[in-house]
This record gives sequence, structure tokens and C-alpha cells, in this order.
Amino acid sequence: MKRNDISMNKPAIEISGLTRCYGKLEAVHGLNLKVRAGGCYGFFGRNGAGKTTTIKCLLNLLRPQSGTVRVFGLDPQKEEVAVKSRLAYVPDAVAFYPWMTVRDTLNYFASFRQHWNREIESDLLKRFGLNLGQKAASMSKGQKTQLALITAVCPEPELLVLDEPTSGLDPIVRREFIETVIGAYQSSDPENRTVFVSTHLISEFEGLIDRFTIIEQGRDLLTMDADGARDRFKKISARFAETPAKFDLTGALRVRHSGREVEILANGNSERLLAELRSHRPEDLRCEALSLEEIFVASKELSEKGL
Amino acid sequence: MTAMLFKIDFKSGKPVYLQLVDQIRYAAASGGLRAGEPLPSIRPLAEELRVNRNTIAKAYTELESQGVIETIPGKGCFLKNGNTPFTKSVRHKLLLAEIDEAVVTAHHLQVDRETFLGMVNERLDYFERKAAEQEPQS
Repeated sequence: MKRNDISMNKPAIEISGLTRCYGKLEAVHGLNLKVRAGGCYGFFGRNGAGKTTTIKCLLNLLRPQSGTVRVFGLDPQKEEVAVKSRLAYVPDAVAFYPWMTVRDTLNYFASFRQHWNREIESDLLKRFGLNLGQKAASMSKGQKTQLALITAVCPEPELLVLDEPTSGLDPIVRREFIETVIGAYQSSDPENRTVFVSTHLISEFEGLIDRFTIIEQGRDLLTMDADGARDRFKKISARFAETPAKFDLTGALRVRHSGREVEILANGNSERLLAELRSHRPEDLRCEALSLEEIFVASKELSEKGL
Repeated sequence: MTAMLFKIDFKSGKPVYLQLVDQIRYAAASGGLRAGEPLPSIRPLAEELRVNRNTIAKAYTELESQGVIETIPGKGCFLKNGNTPFTKSVRHKLLLAEIDEAVVTAHHLQVDRETFLGMVNERLDYFERKAAEQEPQS
């Protein structure tokens, strides 16, 4: 396909120096981001960090005040239709016309799309147990999110943008949601199916995400590969027979002493720190990777140390 | 072979695809997966483990380049028959890293040389027994 030949070399999303204010309040300030095609990219941040504002700029729901936003190499402001026909978006609060049934809603969404995979549609309706005759007005939050996911997956877009998709859902619906993104969405042509997910429920997406950016006060604080991050940031804990006199723990991000125990946050230097602790003959020594969620929680500390 | 045999541990600090590679090699060595048996296909395994499909694909590519599995187009991935195509010294090197890890752990846990070697022998016996039990009667 010609379309894919062109998009192969271009990142799915490229944002540089994005700034957007609401009145005097700066929601996004000089954000940089690059999402390669075919991966699953996590966009982590606290409430109010600027995640939704950034996503709205991708969809031309908001205009950047400065900086550039490119989706498939195109400017969403100038080529809105070309961009939107190649992506699908699931917002945090889903709203459908309350008088429409599930069937009506799906037909309505399909009418905007050049392509609609009926097979995926019926598979997912069955999987979620949605009743075609039910009106949106009487659907639960979980059911509305499931319906939104079907409307996003059936056009088989190149880019799936998810904004806090699983917040407020029960664990079973969340699990089904993520399995659907892994399974149904990427069922064909996975190299050209990109997922961009903004969330603060990070642990659920841990296995899905291969690269991520942490956004803090409108700026990109930390961007890393997930495997690389788990390899670099480690928590080491050691217990000694008696409180040792002195360690050389330079280079540790954080050191906590508590009686005979010491806990260290290592930043790519876990081997040296482990060797130092070993030389003091610990009774117990453990080293484990930080999860993406723990990296997120520690990210402020990380950024203050100039990472 | 089912996805039940696999367990991903994000806390290990080891890349997820390498964890899968190791576990499949382990399954092959312990008889959980026999020559000619198919590996789970990518999509259901990805859904079950809730990891990216690329991760599974990367693991299978790695296993293929190591000569552990082969891909038959349209049919899937299968455990290869016989020996890995590595030279003896490369195979030894691969094993050394794992042995070093165990030796270091033994040191921390104050397990002495004799006990450690005894345990190694015990495990070798265990795997031999297990492989013999799973050998098809012929």
C-alpha cells in the first residue's frame, strides 16, 4: 500500500516546543515528543499535567499557541480530515447521543469511515455482551467505554489515541479493554498500528508499553524505552548483621538507612553499588527493577538530579 | 504448550522479550516443549500475558536466530529438532553467565561449595528424570 510506504519513515506523532495556555494558566509549555509508528507509547502524568491538552492539539480540538504538531507528518490544523481519517480517539469521558441504540451508534460512526471491519464489530459485541437494542442513555460507564472502543477499533486506524481510557472502570472491564487493544486492534498489520495512551493507571499498561514520556507541568520530564528504564532504575536493599560504619554510595539516587538495613535507588550503576554493599558482607541483599509506576512516582526526584 | 507456562516479572529488570526467550529455552530443556511441537501463536499469548505483540514477535525472532525454533510460513513456530547450531565454546559462554549468577547468590546465602555442588547434581538428576518420564514410549 502506497499510504504505508509514505508513513513508514515518518513518526506517527511528532511534537516540538508545543505551548498552549488557558488564559494565564500554562497547560503545556515547550513539550517535545516523538512516537514511532508501530509501537505502543505511554504518556504518563498527574492530573493537570497537560496530557489532555496535548491530545486535543493532535486532534485539532485545540490550536497550539507555539510549537509544531505533526501526525503522520501532517499538520492537523491544515489537513484535519486527512489526519482524522487515519486515527481514532477514545476520550476519558465518553458521550453518545442518548436516544441512539448500540446498533444506531455503530452505524452512525461507521458512516464517517471509509473502512469498517464488521467481523471485529460482531466479535467485540459478543465479547463485551452488549445488547444491540439498548439505548446509550441507559448504558453504564463501562458499557459506554466498551462501545467507544468498538467505534475506535472497527475502522482499523493507523493510530489509536486513548486518553485515560480505563479510569473509573471495574477490573474486569479494564482487563478486557487492554486485551482488546492488544488483540483486536493489532490483529492485522501490527507494524503500522500505533497506540498512544495517556494514563496514570500505569501498572495495567506495563506490558503493553514499549516507550514512554512522563509529562510534568506541561513539560516532558523523562522519555525512555520501558525495558531500558527497568534495567536502569533499580531498588537495592541490604541487611547487615550490625550497622556498618561507612559505605561509598556515591551515584545513588536515594539512600535510606533504617537500623541494620539500607535501601538504595540505583540509576544505571547497580553493579557498582551492589559490589560495594557485598564488600560489607550483608546478611541479605536484594535488587529489583522499578516498575514503570514506581519510576513515574520517583520521576520528580529523577529530574531534580538532572536526568 | 500453553501460555500458562510463562510468567513475566517486570521487577526482574530483564527485558520482557528475553524473559520469554529464557522460559521457552527452559521449557525445551525440561521437556515442557518437545521437538516439533508448536509454540503458542502471537496474538493469544500477547493477550494472555497482556504484553505487546511486538515483544512476543521479538522473542520468537531471537529464538529463531539462536536456532531453537523455526517458523513454518502459514503454520507458526515450532521447536527445532536436535542441537542448537552454536559452537561448543559459545554454548559454554552462555551457560557461564548463569552459573556466575548462581554462585554469587550462593555466596550471599552462605551456601558452601560442597552443598552448592550437591544441589547442582540434584537438579541435573531431577531434569534427567523428568525428561525420561516425558519421553514418548517407543
